[in-house]
Amino acid sequence: MTLNKEVQNETLEQGLEGLRETAGVKTISFEKFHDRSHFWGRLTIWAVIVLSLALPLYLSYGLGFHPGWSAILSGFLAYAAVVGVLWFVEPISYYPILGISGTYLAFLTGNIGNMCLPAASIAQSAVGVEPGTKKGELTATLAMAAASIVNIVMLLFIVLGGSYVVTLLPQSVVDSLVFVLPAIFGGLIAQLAMQKPLWGVIGIALALAVNLGPVPTSLKAFCCIFGLVIICLLLEKLKKTKEIA
Amino acid sequence: MSKVMETANSLPLWIIAGLVVSIVIFQAITFIRLASRTASTVGMNKLEVKTALRTGAISSLGPSFAILIVAISLLTLIGNPVTLMRIGIIGSAPVETIGATVGAQAAGSDLGSAEFTHQAFTNAVWVMCLGGVGWLLVTALFTKSLSKAQAKIADNGQKSVTLLKVISTAALLGAFSYLGTTQVIKGMNEAMVFLAAFAVMPLILWCAARFKLNWLREWSLGLIILVGISVGYFIS
Repeated sequence: MTLNKEVQNETLEQGLEGLRETAGVKTISFEKFHDRSHFWGRLTIWAVIVLSLALPLYLSYGLGFHPGWSAILSGFLAYAAVVGVLWFVEPISYYPILGISGTYLAFLTGNIGNMCLPAASIAQSAVGVEPGTKKGELTATLAMAAASIVNIVMLLFIVLGGSYVVTLLPQSVVDSLVFVLPAIFGGLIAQLAMQKPLWGVIGIALALAVNLGPVPTSLKAFCCIFGLVIICLLLEKLKKTKEIA
Repeated sequence: MSKVMETANSLPLWIIAGLVVSIVIFQAITFIRLASRTASTVGMNKLEVKTALRTGAISSLGPSFAILIVAISLLTLIGNPVTLMRIGIIGSAPVETIGATVGAQAAGSDLGSAEFTHQAFTNAVWVMCLGGVGWLLVTALFTKSLSKAQAKIADNGQKSVTLLKVISTAALLGAFSYLGTTQVIKGMNEAMVFLAAFAVMPLILWCAARFKLNWLREWSLGLIILVGISVGYFIS
């Protein structure tokens, strides 16, 4: 009798699952999530690359304002001298934090350090999950996607005429906006250091040393991120050997 | 100059910028849908999904506003659609200003000057767009290789779970420490704001935990920005 009931329950559950599938709320596995993230992430980024080239090509050849390749190249090289290293260093440095979907999101929408990472980190604290876990990765993705939408909608509003509203703001308010970033990072370091006080102290000390020391600007973030990762891994190893001994 | 701005604000440029904006929004919605559908398989319930989305949206208000105030200066220099396109994707306002400036100079005239020509504008656009493509290309080409390297670490069972947690947390702390100290060394005012935020944030989070106020956790970054701006306003 009980066996019969179990079988019945099972068929019921299978039926429900089928129903969910037809209703379009089919759940997907974490591996599948990564596969689809690669697909959609790459597709959207390639589309924006094409559009990024279409715009100057249209100005050059569609309208005939081509400035000459030597002018383009000399401007590009001057610019690349400033940011070229970042093209490679940033996606690699931020990958351990952002994960697959987060990397595609953050490197398309931009504002990684000042918007995406803070939004992801605070969302992880609000949901109560740790970075580096599956749940943590999904939380970060959801938070950054929401942040990306809010950011671009606000930008759209400003570009389509809101800039007038902003000119009405008193100058003193506009001036104090430089304090947004120190406030964000002070708060976020405190939030993480509450869990790992020692890591926080070492992180700030390391970052001060890197920032004031003779490190090329484009490599500073890389040194701080990977330096702290290596130190923390060693600390954990030390702790474990101590526990065993 | 005015003729250049007419071109800079013409319809085809608006169309391209509009497409870029649509792709950014489409990508974000796609990832929200994918993540929501994956949530239940890793033990994340609907409420937690909503909390993550809401916290992300709230937390981006302050940073977005600060970004946009800086971006406004670009509107008069490179026109509305190009500003929309450049600020809407990777590349911050200061970086784009560098790109536009060196681009215009390489074509022989200064950004925003009376002699700003169509060619100089086109060159500025070339430099900004090619510059932005750098990040996009690396991301499109190498993210899969990075994920394969990560998968190798993750193949170790329970041990690797702790390993990934340590790496991610340390990396996050390293990034914020770097970004924070660059602000601190800018000047006394920035350092004071940093310290104030550093002191107040634990209080906010403690209150949220003590009195079980989840909304306070969601608003914590927004509040800390207000605290920082107020402190900065009064000491400067």
